[in-house]
Amino acid sequence: MIGALLPPILPASIGGAIEFIFEPQSSNVTGGKKVGGLEVVVELMLNQLEVTVFALALATAIALPIGLYLGHRGVGELFAVGLGNVGRAVPELALIALMAAVIGVGLLNLTIALAVLGIPPILTNAFVGIRQVDRSPVDAARGIGMTEMEILLKVEMPLAVPTLMAGIRSAMIAIVATATIGPIAGVLTLGDFIINNNVYGENGLLAGGILVALLALTLEFLLAWLQRLLTSRGLRLSEA
Amino acid sequence: MSSAALALPVAKVGEVGESFFHERTSETLPCQASSSHLFCFDWAKENIDSFGTPTLQHLELVLFSVLAGFVVAMALALLAHRRRWLQAPLLAITGVIYTVPSIAFFFLLLPLTGLGRDTVIVALSAYTLQIIYRNAIAGLANVPAAAKDAARGMGLTETQILWRVELPLATPEIVAGLRIATVSTVALATFAVFVNAGGLGVKIYGSGNLTFPTSIIIAGGIAMLMALAFHLALVGIERYATPWRRVAAA
Amino acid sequence: MPVPEVTEQVSSDASAVRYENATKRYGDSAEAAVDRLSLEVPAGEVCVLVGPSGCGKTTAMRLVNRTVELSEGDVLIGGESVRDRDPARLRREIGYVIQQVGLFPHRTIAENIATVPHLLGWKKERIEARTEELLELIGLEAELAERYPAQLSGGQQQRVGVARALAADPLVMLMDEPFGAIDPINRERLQNEFLRLQAEIRKTVLFVTHDIDEAIKMGDRIAIMRKGGRVAQYAMPAELLMAPADEFVEDFVGADRALKRLALMRVGDIDLWEAPLAHVGQATVEVRAKLAGAEVPYPLLVDSERRPLGWLSERDLAAETVPARPDSPLGPVLDRADVMRDALADLLQGEAQYAAVTDHDGRIDGVLSVEIISEFLGSPKAKTEEHGAAERPR
Repeated sequence: MIGALLPPILPASIGGAIEFIFEPQSSNVTGGKKVGGLEVVVELMLNQLEVTVFALALATAIALPIGLYLGHRGVGELFAVGLGNVGRAVPELALIALMAAVIGVGLLNLTIALAVLGIPPILTNAFVGIRQVDRSPVDAARGIGMTEMEILLKVEMPLAVPTLMAGIRSAMIAIVATATIGPIAGVLTLGDFIINNNVYGENGLLAGGILVALLALTLEFLLAWLQRLLTSRGLRLSEA
Repeated sequence: MSSAALALPVAKVGEVGESFFHERTSETLPCQASSSHLFCFDWAKENIDSFGTPTLQHLELVLFSVLAGFVVAMALALLAHRRRWLQAPLLAITGVIYTVPSIAFFFLLLPLTGLGRDTVIVALSAYTLQIIYRNAIAGLANVPAAAKDAARGMGLTETQILWRVELPLATPEIVAGLRIATVSTVALATFAVFVNAGGLGVKIYGSGNLTFPTSIIIAGGIAMLMALAFHLALVGIERYATPWRRVAAA
Repeated sequence: MPVPEVTEQVSSDASAVRYENATKRYGDSAEAAVDRLSLEVPAGEVCVLVGPSGCGKTTAMRLVNRTVELSEGDVLIGGESVRDRDPARLRREIGYVIQQVGLFPHRTIAENIATVPHLLGWKKERIEARTEELLELIGLEAELAERYPAQLSGGQQQRVGVARALAADPLVMLMDEPFGAIDPINRERLQNEFLRLQAEIRKTVLFVTHDIDEAIKMGDRIAIMRKGGRVAQYAMPAELLMAPADEFVEDFVGADRALKRLALMRVGDIDLWEAPLAHVGQATVEVRAKLAGAEVPYPLLVDSERRPLGWLSERDLAAETVPARPDSPLGPVLDRADVMRDALADLLQGEAQYAAVTDHDGRIDGVLSVEIISEFLGSPKAKTEEHGAAERPR
């Protein structure tokens, strides 16, 4: 039933994959038509980056304010933490597949589906991050006359940056990973090399793996850098 | 009716993209004449048996992956607990692995393990390392210094302190790490279908194409129930293994 | 109800605080945390709220800046009800210092201090000048301004906490066990620094503590509170020690309250005995004549500037003239400005009956004896047994 599509061991090699990335290769399955090459790689990578950035921005725009508000008020713990637990258990493949089948395919629909994946970790971490902030600076802030909004924005949020960013990074990893299977929802991402391997061949599979890994690591590196930028030196000192 | 027969038409070679999806709606399947039918009970009743094998395969993938990941992660954690300078580099390395999407990981392993179950187990277990390792290190670090000091003062050796004081006290964090890793692995194992390793993913994306909503919902539902079962089992284990916390909580 | 006095318009830096039947009830609980509290703290004075834990002292304090909301009654600051004020705006006019300090770990010392001026929208130059001024006021080097709280010691952090509270020149300061988390030696230092500061800035301060010794030291007035947020006695420290209103206050103040009174007095505040003085080379007959009617039975040898040199013994007086080297050592010498409690400790430590007391320039001013102290404490000599307690560190 399965396994009919691919031979168990493919003669893929790192060298072949790298060649595939930079130069279009002729493939035995396409009857001489050349596949791969830098142009296609760049196009697919930009597609994946685009849908990842949109989905992450959407998820953050929805989940962060809710998590911050609930955390500040100290209400809705069951919802905020429970959502994180449930979110972890939702199979990404099933979610994307179901949304593609029900609401249809395309960039917008995939963005929405991926944002749904990103919401739980951001919301949970925002809630937990704010709740975990040491109460004494908050008490002091209230006592010296900060409004609730000022307390949240000027005291609680800066102190919760590591946890907030951890949530956004988790969401990013889930989104960029799942964006790989974008082709099943009609958005041609790097996963096209993997999902339509009968087009790109075995070197395409390995190349896809390499490219997706590089993309994810690059984004992770960027977010780690952003987190460092947003974390006060005073906070790093007090944690040391 | 086999699931392969139910699968939607495979995209024609070289014609990925729009047409790939439009063709799907042209074929009428049971309950699919009207798109408002999200879940088709008739089909579910008839085909529920076909989910048995994928479920067992899925369970197998998860168990092997988590077990392997747990053994390796705990070994690393204990090593780093003794050799403190290893903690940061190991955290960084497991962190990098954690960042690589599992589906990409499968194909990175292609030259080494080829396609199939081994690849999935290696990749998914590597994926659990970060979570289990990080929690174990945190758990061991949170053991009160006074408890260790007292144990040392009573003449316990370092090994005895580890087994009788540190590991029991770190159990809640270690089990929590294991729980998170297991639940994530259940969800991620659906991707195994892309390397022909079976599992519930087959009922979602069978034979190279999307199945229809009823099948997706059932497969997703089974995966989530499996995750819930693991979650509850591990919460139970944690409670059983730490009777002193039950007392304190009361 | 008494007609409220017309609150005097004091200098802009401090306002009187007045509780009028202030009551706080949590939820439906029958027992109030603070029950019909009526109290007036005059502008520029330190009022200490002291009592056992759970007596409602912190709650009572927090009613002032509305971090706890009144259930009934009112609190007036400078005659104006806090109920009519927007909480955030009100709080910006009230300094707030808490035990855990609560500095913002992500902001530098200067930024921490400038928090309220920023909220009030001060100009940059004014904020900078004020920050500099405050750092100097609390005795921190200017280069610490760019450090972060984690780089400061606990004592330094609490000084910054006080500076942050003072930044916008508040009308009232609320201090909730501000020195509670500091080790005893540094606590004493911070207390003294704050008293010195307060002498300069003259704020109205509400100070919460559970330590009666701290209360006596810091307070111009002390409100001893008992469970249910009731005031058992509201008085000046000396009055509290001399005339406890009831058994609860007496117990709380402690059996050694007589000794505590000594902590409130200085040597110069008491009537000293006059010392029979002797100079080197003076005829001993003359000296003996002086001794006849004196309260101190020994002559004190002084130099030409009347600075004490030592006590003369019977043997010294057996000679024709007063010798240059007296037989007995000088023993403890006290300054008029010394606190009585320390003076007593010195006497006991030196195993001396008498101690010479000098003025600012080191010239003899009189003699302090154990007897004088005993009389002051209003009890016969028998009580001296208790005096060992004075040497016990607080």
